[in-house]
Amino acid sequence: MEDEADVDRVLAGDVAAFEKIVRRWQGPLVNMAWRYCRDRGRAEEMAQDALIRAWRALASWRRESSFSTWLFALAANVFRSELKRVPATNLPLEEIAEPAGPAPQQDALEERQRYEVVRRAVLALPLRYREPVILFYFHEMDVGQAARTLGMPEGTMKARLARARDLLRARFPHLQEELAAARF
Amino acid sequence: MKPKTDFGAIDHILASDDELIPSSGFLSAVMDRVYQEAAAPPPIPFPWKLALPGFVLLAAVAGWGVYEAVRFLWLEPQGFALSQLKVPAAVFHDLQQAGWVVAALLVAAVSWMFPRRMVRGAGLL
Repeated sequence: MEDEADVDRVLAGDVAAFEKIVRRWQGPLVNMAWRYCRDRGRAEEMAQDALIRAWRALASWRRESSFSTWLFALAANVFRSELKRVPATNLPLEEIAEPAGPAPQQDALEERQRYEVVRRAVLALPLRYREPVILFYFHEMDVGQAARTLGMPEGTMKARLARARDLLRARFPHLQEELAAARF
Repeated sequence: MKPKTDFGAIDHILASDDELIPSSGFLSAVMDRVYQEAAAPPPIPFPWKLALPGFVLLAAVAGWGVYEAVRFLWLEPQGFALSQLKVPAAVFHDLQQAGWVVAALLVAAVSWMFPRRMVRGAGLL
């Protein structure tokens, strides 16, 4: 409702009303962009571009879907184009080494580094699997919302997620055991 | 709806990603660009209506070219010749000279009038 009112004000000529929209959505968009590139500076630039594109295209929001769905779909397009221009990683999935070391002895920093390797491996997935993974976890494992952002059926989204998990598990075969050992 | 089950290590790691907070200058950077765009004059739309005669002429010339090419390649591969007017030889030379003068005047007139018409149509004059 807040978004709709602010969009109406912007479309009526009140440019300052867009600030409220930016204030509300800057966090989610920067975090979404971060998951696409895992580079903080670039994530902010990409999020900024997405917001400018949203500003230009506000009149095209048909209000059939929520503002957030429209905004995330637009942002996904911007991020996809940007990463086609300059890819986030050049390392193929096969060349990413599984982080080594027994889990129980890890300190927090080491664990964070190990987890970061897995997160970066997502960027090496083929695009058709990469985006579903990025958006599924960005939307806190909500398949429906992730599917709407990409404009694809939920069934396709689930199938691609399953395939992406298989690829990642094959790349990191010992991760599951190590994580289980770390918990007990 | 969030699933209650843990799908495994991959889900655990990817779901527990760090939360970034946008830098302090992010909001003002976006709004600066927005104000800049809002202050800029709208882009000049392409004058489709004014350019239409030109497009029609181009299409006609292209159509004639295609017709002649087809005639040359398939219909009259041996004895091809561009259609010529039947004019008495005595006046042919004078007519040819006059034709060139008219053509040159036409080109000059069009190159003077067409840009003026385009600019006036876009509201710049």
